[in-house]
Amino acid sequence: MPEHTLVGQRVVRIDSQAKATGEARYTADLTLPRMLYSKVLRSPHAHARILHIDTSKAEKLKGVKVVVTGQDAAGVKWGVFRYTRDQELLTADKVRYIGEDVAAVAAEDEETALEALELIDVEYEVLPAVFDPLEAMKEGAPQIHDHAENNINIHVPIEVGDVDRAFQQAHYVREDRFLDREYTYCQTEPYAVLASYDRAGNLEIWTPNASPHTKAKALSNLLEKPLNKVRVRRINTGGAFGGRSDIFPGEFIAALLSMKAGRPVKMVYTREESFTSVRQAHSMVVDSKIGVTRDGRIVASEIKLVLDGGAYSSTGPIATSVPFLVWEETYRLPNARFNGYRVYTNKPVRGMYRCHGRAFHGGLGMQLDMIAEELGIDPLEIQLRNALTTGETQATGSRIISCGLTEALETVAERSGWKEKRGKLPYGRGVGMGANGMMVGFPMGIRGGSAALIKFNEDGGATLISGVVDNGQGNESMVVQIAADVLGLRMEDINLVSADSEVTPLDQGAYSQAATFVSGNAVRAAAMDAREQILDIASDMLDALPGELESKGGKVQVRERPERNVWLGKVIRQALIDNAPVVGKGSYMPKVDQSREWVNNPKGQHAGTFSFGAVVAEVEVDTETGQVKVTNVTGAHDCGLAINPMAVEGQLEGSVASGGVGATLLEEHVWDGGQMLNANMLEYKVPLSVDMPQIVPIIVE
Amino acid sequence: MEKRLIRLLVNGDQHDVAVWPNETLVEVLRDRLELTGTKMGCGEGACGTCTVLVEGRPVRSCLTLAVEVQGKEIVTIEGLAEGGDLHPVQEAFVQHGAIQCGFCSPAMILTGKALLDENPHPTEDEVRRALSGVVCRCTGYTKIVEAVLAAAGEA
Repeated sequence: MPEHTLVGQRVVRIDSQAKATGEARYTADLTLPRMLYSKVLRSPHAHARILHIDTSKAEKLKGVKVVVTGQDAAGVKWGVFRYTRDQELLTADKVRYIGEDVAAVAAEDEETALEALELIDVEYEVLPAVFDPLEAMKEGAPQIHDHAENNINIHVPIEVGDVDRAFQQAHYVREDRFLDREYTYCQTEPYAVLASYDRAGNLEIWTPNASPHTKAKALSNLLEKPLNKVRVRRINTGGAFGGRSDIFPGEFIAALLSMKAGRPVKMVYTREESFTSVRQAHSMVVDSKIGVTRDGRIVASEIKLVLDGGAYSSTGPIATSVPFLVWEETYRLPNARFNGYRVYTNKPVRGMYRCHGRAFHGGLGMQLDMIAEELGIDPLEIQLRNALTTGETQATGSRIISCGLTEALETVAERSGWKEKRGKLPYGRGVGMGANGMMVGFPMGIRGGSAALIKFNEDGGATLISGVVDNGQGNESMVVQIAADVLGLRMEDINLVSADSEVTPLDQGAYSQAATFVSGNAVRAAAMDAREQILDIASDMLDALPGELESKGGKVQVRERPERNVWLGKVIRQALIDNAPVVGKGSYMPKVDQSREWVNNPKGQHAGTFSFGAVVAEVEVDTETGQVKVTNVTGAHDCGLAINPMAVEGQLEGSVASGGVGATLLEEHVWDGGQMLNANMLEYKVPLSVDMPQIVPIIVE
Repeated sequence: MEKRLIRLLVNGDQHDVAVWPNETLVEVLRDRLELTGTKMGCGEGACGTCTVLVEGRPVRSCLTLAVEVQGKEIVTIEGLAEGGDLHPVQEAFVQHGAIQCGFCSPAMILTGKALLDENPHPTEDEVRRALSGVVCRCTGYTKIVEAVLAAAGEA
């Protein structure tokens, strides 16, 4: 293990002062000269054909500059994959959910834009709609897309081993149905976008995002503009949780309006629009059959998953696969059959949310608990017996290079007092346990890796250029910490330029825990490259071999004789004189099987590495009302080397709020057909400070 | 409807602004005074990210009309650091890792300050209750509560 001076330390994040003082800017805070304000006309119908749109009255309203409809959008369709391009971001022919984008106005102020929406006449032919995925799959259900029979958007079949034989040999088999509700991200920052287009054909975009390069590529396709003309700029993002990754109608429409108006256009969604018209999380129906040995080891599993996908594909194939993948990444599944179906309904579009289907609410772990009870095994024991370990290969062929799941399980059991509490607490109180494993990134072709550059100034300070994006988790600070650690600088000696699709090299974005592993390793490589160049030049200056030198405290010195040293700024100047300026370059591409494909070839190495965790929750049930209160949570996570343990703890604690208390106990959508009844933060209950338990976060490295 | 000229006292500065009678304080602060540190998360008084201090008490600026607070002392997050030094509550948030995406931080910090001004040594329960009007989606609140308690120790 190399010696670290900064990595592993509880450092103050570089972005925290600006955020503590109100100086940090978010998209809605931005204004540009001559900026227009935009509002979107949304479908009041869950399923209808658009017969005619008349925008003439709206266009005549004083202060209105541009009105656009699907007719202006050239019929291009968005989908994350070539085979899932089913969404016109401004629909021309049909609406498929309440809240879908039908027309948009850019005006001198927001009030005028809103007034103009009232003046747009849309003639609809209302069509029968379907809101339940199981109903939507039945013969005779309304067909939402012409290409999708029985409204099946995606079918992912996976089969490993001899499932039928394994079931015959199993000691005990049980079948259960698990349901998981749908959620909304409720990032505190509502969706917003600012688009600015100039005569030279440059489009600039500011919008909360989890990958500037992904947004830029999609807009480049949709607007038929080269990538170097579509510039997604760095901006603070008020939370993502998966809900900023995909491409949304907002940025497309704002770009279209700005291009037509020749002026900047800002669009800020209401909270209701942020609920219904960006992305939501899928609901799941899981039919799970598991066969185990006498001592509770899984020998066979057969799982059918149905996801309510809403009106369009979004991340469809990924969403449909991930529940099975996270199960196979946690437990040994020697013989497994999985059939995942993502089904279209006339509801808002569902995308990725904190590990997609949050599959841990949907089966396997809970079923193991039930089996443990049936067979008289301690739930901790059954988890340990089925938990994957280092060196094993998962069902679909990913080898695990490092796995701390056993340690995480044992640690949470010990720290929570599992043995003393399980089954021994008074009536109305209890403890439960769960485990998880998850891919750190996944194959995304050319957009799966990251690159970084470091340049130096003649005063010895550095500028780090990385595509890394920060949605609040601390990625900006993380890459600076890594670079400073390698270069022997203080974090304040390094300025970061990040998340700008024009300036920074390609980066995969912040999804599926990829940023630290991929972007962080790219930055580390760039810093090591720069260090090598620096030591090389300094070796002449200090008359020593590069291998005898180290970069420390803003100086280069002979390791064994630190009094022989030279100031880093002087080395940088010498490099300039030598016509060899120091520019560090590094990149990282996870070692995954690039031929793996979500639907057609779900086999091979899926991620470079995986992370693992275990949780014990202690709850109290009000035996009169049935209300559950979580009192204590002990969580341990194997995240590899924790760069900044304080930031890692923050992630663990945040997960207990959103996936734990929120998703398990409080949050859910309420519908009347296709109309969401609680698209507001009064009735959609997210956890507050008083709802949260005492949390013990433990890092397993 | 006609605009009205009102005088607002924000962070010690006096501002004369012409506002619509139905204009909310958050709109005036953000759009007219360019104090964008005050956030707007829902516009219906549910998320609390628009919290500012009026006469020392936390108030949801999205549910407050600008004309209601004429002449009252308003403090936004921009007015908290004195002479470039962070307020102890701000400093505690920074040091304890209580800030992730930062969107709720101005409201959390102001709410924490208002609590400590009134009750310099709150219990953890009192801190949790005081902060329960502001939604944070990132932190699970643990480090925010720790930061307010730590600031109480220093104050």
